[in-house]
Amino acid sequence: MQSFLTKIKGDKVIWAVVFLLTLVSFLAVYSSTGTLAYKYHSGNTEYYMLKHAVILLFGLLLMYFAHLLKYTYYSRIFQIALYIAVPLLLITLIFGLNLNEAKRVLPLPFNLTFQTSDLAKVTLIIYLARMLTKKQEQIKDFKSAFVPLMLPVLIVTGLIFPANFSTAALLFVTSLVLIFIGRVKVRYILGMVGIGMVALAIGIAVLYVMPAEKQGRLGTWKNRITNFIDGGGEENYQVEQAKIAIATGGLFGKMPGNSTQRNFLPHPYSDFIFAIIVEEYGAMGGGFIVLLYLILFFRAVKIMTRIPGTFGAFLSIGVAFSLVFQAMINMGVAVNLLPVTGQPLPLISMGGTSIWFTSLAIGIILSVSKELEKKEKPEKNELNKAETVYA
Amino acid sequence: MTDQKKDILWRVYLVYFGILVFGVAIITKMLLIQIVEGEELKQQSQHQELTVANLEASRGNILAADGSLLATSVPIFEIRFDVASPHIPDELFYAKIDSLSKGLANTFNKSSQWQIKNDLIKARKNGKRYFLLSRSATYDQLKALRELPILKRGKYRGGLITIQKTSRVRPFRELAGRTIGYEIKEENLFVGLEGAFTDVLTGEDGKMVLRRINHGDWVPIHDENEVEPKNGLDIVTTIDVNIQDVTELALLRQLINNEAFQGCAVVMEVATGHIKAIANLRYDSTDNFYKETYNYAIGESIEPGSTFKLYSLMTALEDHKVKLTDSVITGEGYTSYYGRPLKDVHKIKNGRVTVRDVFEHSSNVGVSKIIYEAYKEEPEEYIEGLYDLGLNKKLGLEIQGEGIPYVKHPSNKKTWYGTSLPWMSIGYELTITPLQNLTIYNAVANNGRMVKPQFVTEIREAGIQKEVFETEVIDKSIASEETIQLARSLLEGVVENGTGKNTFASSPYKVAGKTGTAQIAVGGKYNKTNYNASFIGYFPADNPKYSCIVVINNPSAGKYYGGSVAAPAFKEIADKIYATSLALELETKEDTNVIHQIPANSAVWYADLKNIYTELGYDHKDFIYEEQWAYAEVNEDNIELKPEFFAEEVTPNVVGMKAKDAVFLLENLGYQTILNGKGKVRSQSVRSGTPVTKGRQINLQLSSF
Repeated sequence: MQSFLTKIKGDKVIWAVVFLLTLVSFLAVYSSTGTLAYKYHSGNTEYYMLKHAVILLFGLLLMYFAHLLKYTYYSRIFQIALYIAVPLLLITLIFGLNLNEAKRVLPLPFNLTFQTSDLAKVTLIIYLARMLTKKQEQIKDFKSAFVPLMLPVLIVTGLIFPANFSTAALLFVTSLVLIFIGRVKVRYILGMVGIGMVALAIGIAVLYVMPAEKQGRLGTWKNRITNFIDGGGEENYQVEQAKIAIATGGLFGKMPGNSTQRNFLPHPYSDFIFAIIVEEYGAMGGGFIVLLYLILFFRAVKIMTRIPGTFGAFLSIGVAFSLVFQAMINMGVAVNLLPVTGQPLPLISMGGTSIWFTSLAIGIILSVSKELEKKEKPEKNELNKAETVYA
Repeated sequence: MTDQKKDILWRVYLVYFGILVFGVAIITKMLLIQIVEGEELKQQSQHQELTVANLEASRGNILAADGSLLATSVPIFEIRFDVASPHIPDELFYAKIDSLSKGLANTFNKSSQWQIKNDLIKARKNGKRYFLLSRSATYDQLKALRELPILKRGKYRGGLITIQKTSRVRPFRELAGRTIGYEIKEENLFVGLEGAFTDVLTGEDGKMVLRRINHGDWVPIHDENEVEPKNGLDIVTTIDVNIQDVTELALLRQLINNEAFQGCAVVMEVATGHIKAIANLRYDSTDNFYKETYNYAIGESIEPGSTFKLYSLMTALEDHKVKLTDSVITGEGYTSYYGRPLKDVHKIKNGRVTVRDVFEHSSNVGVSKIIYEAYKEEPEEYIEGLYDLGLNKKLGLEIQGEGIPYVKHPSNKKTWYGTSLPWMSIGYELTITPLQNLTIYNAVANNGRMVKPQFVTEIREAGIQKEVFETEVIDKSIASEETIQLARSLLEGVVENGTGKNTFASSPYKVAGKTGTAQIAVGGKYNKTNYNASFIGYFPADNPKYSCIVVINNPSAGKYYGGSVAAPAFKEIADKIYATSLALELETKEDTNVIHQIPANSAVWYADLKNIYTELGYDHKDFIYEEQWAYAEVNEDNIELKPEFFAEEVTPNVVGMKAKDAVFLLENLGYQTILNGKGKVRSQSVRSGTPVTKGRQINLQLSSF
């Protein structure tokens, strides 16, 4: 145990948060696949438990190896990744359009699917961290800093947008926040937000004018927005069921495995897993999950304030913000603070790609914190050595 | 701290503050839901109901060799009418009752408009909420009902209650009915091929979770079913619908003409053992007609009588106990063993004849003398010779209920008498089923190679081959080549000179076979008025393609000889097969017709296709179920209309089809079709093979080039 702990480097609090989230994920997914498992393996819930356990374990391993690598390498790795991600997004999009429907995933062997947008998300954030570092000197400039920063954001989110509106919007907002932190002029960012709002308004207006049969997936967003405003429809049913889950959970919950709402909620293991957690573990459990994500972000902020270089700072804060922000959005949907989006809860919801990219992201934060420890501790180590010499 | 760092930090803290607020908002909202809406939501959770519905998997089809449907499952509907529904006001009911009754009378064609009207008014007065309109309405009938007044108002406002069920139908009805099989509901048992392949045909039911919504309706919770139903697989039989039709008709004609009780006729392909046709008809006194109610050919082990003489002589020939040229004294056609008389029908020639004459004229005296003389010392040699022909074993058919052959052995003293040897030699004191009998004759036609009768050649899933069954060989050679050749010459002789001569005199092709007339033992005694008349043979004799057995049980119109009762049915069957298929194969194919210039159509609705070829005056074979897609296969000599199967739930390839047909097909699958241009389909926006999504759009590009 001792030797294992010494092998784990980086922020121990983050590690603890990760282990707790993983445990919650394991329990909550096992419980909420009660209905899904029945679907494919006639009651064999263990299949999903095992599959999910393997995914989680692989995620932890990925995190471990990711944190061993010096974080500066990620700059180069993800520069290459961007060149892969953009064509991949394009392929997914064209593939999807050809089939006359939005296609978000690339099929893989072993019943796995690959969400190209998950890859694009991490890639774009690391790319931004790199660009922000490079452009720090002329960061307040529009042409030499704002444009090269914003252009990839628009391209990537633009490619995700037709297939998956909420992911694109989330990534767009995350990118703007990161650029904001990176000292870009608030004026430009507000301008960008304004443009975004106008584009969204036009989009919604077009949706309402367009004949129903031509809307395809666009129609889904329209319904979601309408339902959030007026109530009614399938989305409202989901929200209603999520609220019942939360209400019947009470303060301490129904205890693990006793959820009844998992049968009424579509995708209880993904979009609405937070509602199931509240149902089984109560408001205490729900609040604890929120707290864990807040701690995670707080630790990233701490790392940022202490790390000397700008790249490590932007890297850890960018990755952490993206992850925690998505978590807040997911939980916000579950408690009916926001309209239904279909974003998974990072590290908790079932789904290979999402968990692995989250693990990679946390691994990167840990790698930064590891470097920080190295920089802060060497005097201590040398002192120790010195003492042994004199003793 | 540098300015740069300061500039970054206030921004980070601001963002952190924002996230903190977000987190607090989530917790607050969560608590608000619990505190403010809690009671109401808890109440609501008490009223939520779930149920798991069964999704019935459809049973696989049974197909004929050419792919026509022999048995298939179709949806039927039990239709009830909530006549006394409070949602149907009196004014409406009495205003529309006449047109409704008229519509119902037209739709079901069972009772008159006036009677229905009376019944409905009475039912309404008596407060009937579940009035039966039909127990088994078709989908078309249901569609028609939905157009009728009152009922078109739907379930709640119109009181139309429908319960979907599936019904097994045989599009060709009685045709090979017992062999195709059916379910005996009372015993929960499938007979025939339905029973033999029930594991293959039966699918696995699916499951769907439903929740109740306000009106009491159940709606599915998820987009997909929890467990998709897995439909049963199809089996392809060896049955040739044309031959089956001919066989059944020929048998029926002879049964009627001879006022017989029951009979069977089986046609087998010599080389493969494929059962091309199997007809079993038994008189049904309730309907005063013949019906496929019992699989006589497979299930009944009967005393074969004279057809068995072939096996006696083959055994003696194989053992070199006799030569065909040996002479036998048949005398006046009378002899006796241990005081028990044995007679011939009439005196043969001058009473001193060859072994060949004995067989050709089916002399009981002659055959029994030959066998008795040869084997009286060691009868077990004769019996074992019979066993070598495969006479003591069941065929091991997939279809349940095969009769057990009974050929006793001298070692069993309880059943073996002095008279056993002579009587067995002419086909008594032993039983075999008609199909077992045919199988050995077929082996003789097949140069000694005994193949197992085969009913099913393939298992298919949605038109794709899953498993193929090859011909099973029971015995590579049941006798020496020499014996087989002699046996074949004997069988040809029967038709040329003997008991089959009259029937086959005018036949344009050579038939070989043997007549049989067996008295039937009733209660241990042979009753002179009760007979089994049979004929087994094969054709064309020189190069046998098909073997066939006809057995007519208990003819009671005066005639009872196999040669005059069973052989005519055999001839009718053989003639038709010869005329339709064999003649084409055998004659030279010089006849180069212009037919093959007619383009073979891609899939067209069957009725349309048939019209085209009928109008054009082309001879075409069409034996397929009316309600389906078909294509024309242009052969060298004829045009064959064949059924086209489109796998359900998979997008078909409609390129090349007429727009009308493509739209009909796709819309039936649940697509919304959008047409661009004119003419035939050039391209489709959804690739063929893609799983069907109901309500999805498909664009068809048309062009007339």
